Amino acid sequence: MLKRIFNLQLLKKNNGIFGILFFPVLLSTFYFLLSNSVFADTGNITLTVTVSASAVCGNGVIDTGEQCDGSNLGGATCVTRGNTGGTLSCSNCSYNETGCTSGGGGGGGGGGGGGGGAIVPSGTTVIFSGRAYPKSSVTLLKDAQVAASSVAGPDSNFSITLGNLSAGSYIFSIYGEDKEGRRSSLFSFTVSVTAGVTTNVGGIFIAPTIAVDKSEVKKGDNLAIFGQSAPSSDITISVNSDEEFFAKTKSDGGGVYLYNFDTTPVDYGDHNAKSKASLAGALSSFSSAVSFKVGTQNITAPKLVKKVLKGEVNNDGRVNLIDFSIAAYWYNRTSPPAKVDLNGDGKVNLIDFSIMAYYWTG
Amino acid sequence: MKNKFKIIILLSIFYFLFSLQASATSLNLVSQTNEIDIGSQFQVDLMLDAEGEDINAIEGSIIFPKNLLEIKEIYTGSSIIKFWVERPQMNAEIKFSGVIPGGFSGVLSPYYKGGRQGKVFSLIFAAKTEGVGNVAIKNAKVLLNDGQGTEADVRISNFQFLISNQIPSSTFQAPSSKDTNPPELFTPEIARDPDIFNDKWFLVFAAQDKDSGVDYYEIAEKRGSNITQNYAELRWQAAESPYLLEDQKLKSYTYVRVIDKAGNTRIVYLPPTVPWYKKWPVYILVGLGLVVVLLLIRWLWRKSKSQKNLF
Repeated sequence: MLKRIFNLQLLKKNNGIFGILFFPVLLSTFYFLLSNSVFADTGNITLTVTVSASAVCGNGVIDTGEQCDGSNLGGATCVTRGNTGGTLSCSNCSYNETGCTSGGGGGGGGGGGGGGGAIVPSGTTVIFSGRAYPKSSVTLLKDAQVAASSVAGPDSNFSITLGNLSAGSYIFSIYGEDKEGRRSSLFSFTVSVTAGVTTNVGGIFIAPTIAVDKSEVKKGDNLAIFGQSAPSSDITISVNSDEEFFAKTKSDGGGVYLYNFDTTPVDYGDHNAKSKASLAGALSSFSSAVSFKVGTQNITAPKLVKKVLKGEVNNDGRVNLIDFSIAAYWYNRTSPPAKVDLNGDGKVNLIDFSIMAYYWTG
Repeated sequence: MKNKFKIIILLSIFYFLFSLQASATSLNLVSQTNEIDIGSQFQVDLMLDAEGEDINAIEGSIIFPKNLLEIKEIYTGSSIIKFWVERPQMNAEIKFSGVIPGGFSGVLSPYYKGGRQGKVFSLIFAAKTEGVGNVAIKNAKVLLNDGQGTEADVRISNFQFLISNQIPSSTFQAPSSKDTNPPELFTPEIARDPDIFNDKWFLVFAAQDKDSGVDYYEIAEKRGSNITQNYAELRWQAAESPYLLEDQKLKSYTYVRVIDKAGNTRIVYLPPTVPWYKKWPVYILVGLGLVVVLLLIRWLWRKSKSQKNLF
């Protein structure tokens, strides 16, 4: 069969353009199919996005997804809503703050009113659920800014409800922090939110955290690669070298995993490792990469290094709007400081913002 | 036999070309109509189709024939771009540049499977005179969310149109006409950095509006112990983030007003920064500390006195 396919007669002159193109096309097709399967491996997390029926607005009872119902304000007032006074009312089962005297609140501002009135349709809510790590903190970003946080249960399951939304497209991002304070990579997705319904986003599986016990490991010695995920998860560890090494282990009842990686087959030099988890058919994305060096001595890695993220311009441990604004100030200006020129090409342009967006924490 | 091979090869070529196209991200200019009556307005949306890639930054510009079209408005409401490096402005060439922190790989919804293309912004044009032309994307750059700013392959789809007085006029409703909601709640932050504004205090802010989009911001600073109820009395100034604060002692209330394209507004404020020594919990702690120290001195004094009495 193969002999037939690769029949060299195809290369004969009388086959013209077909003969010449056969092998390039065949090889390109194989290359495409191969590369496509790699793409599939990196991002095949299945989120389930569903809607629930709206709560019954007008029955005087505050149902799930409603802020209020008729005169039942659930004990809320203009003051508890962050205003300084006035009369809070209820419109379409959402708070109507147009009767409140001013906006703002304590340390960080608040809502004012204006325009055509701030009525949010009843029950425009998104509920996020999935797995993180046992008793870990989970942070949700809405449109790149921190919107809510929660703590996962002992089984690592979490649920976060975000209400008071408008209809439209939102970019939500979520990350977890394990018991040692290590932060997971950011998992982002864009959801079209419909007015008046509850949108459920399920199947979120936050990537494991990862660390190593040595910043430099003597070639041939073991390197401990560890972190946290959901309990009893299958953990796949990938060590990037000239050749990629894969290892498998399982997390314990507390979600902790440990793998002693034998560095004998790995070349001298810098390498990095990342991990992903799977449990009951659900698959997480890859963790952020942790780097180590294979050399001639063992150097213990600090227990928990305050990792300076790329794009963390003002050194506050976060990559957020402040860093973006400082970089934006230097956009297309001459001689920017090195801390905003993230790729070191002597200018601040879209590439620097792309790098910053990748390391974003909100 | 020879014909069979030719068919196989042809099919392979088609498959290969089709596959190559499907693997690139695309920027598309789309509209509900491409035949427009003279004098009518119509909307063209710039859409990003990630096509399985993870995208976090885009830039480019839009050009259009000025003799045929007049740009009336640009709407950024519900855009997938969360922070604009260069917000699209109504110029002869509409340049844009922005980022999507965390990345974009398609819009999910309960009403369909998979991810769909996301809106970057909408352009409202008015047809001036008869003719055929196209609205085109120039210098487009789409970057992957890979931490290195790698450029993605991008396919461009421009918008071709025909303006004629033979086409029945249609009623066009601008997004702003349906927008009655103010922009979403947002939190400005005060910061300082030696590399901008000579290490002086500045304010950063970014509001989102899902309907017509943010139009502009205004800022007012006012000293006083109470927030004002009368926003009209404030001295508002047009502002962009980052904004250098006038009151560098941070003793003022700082008000930020965001106005969307439909004129709906939201005002948020930051209270003055209270120095640490003026905070009441500090007074209580200092007071308690003094009481403890006094009691300790008294106890030590009594103890030493009683020991002296023993000798």
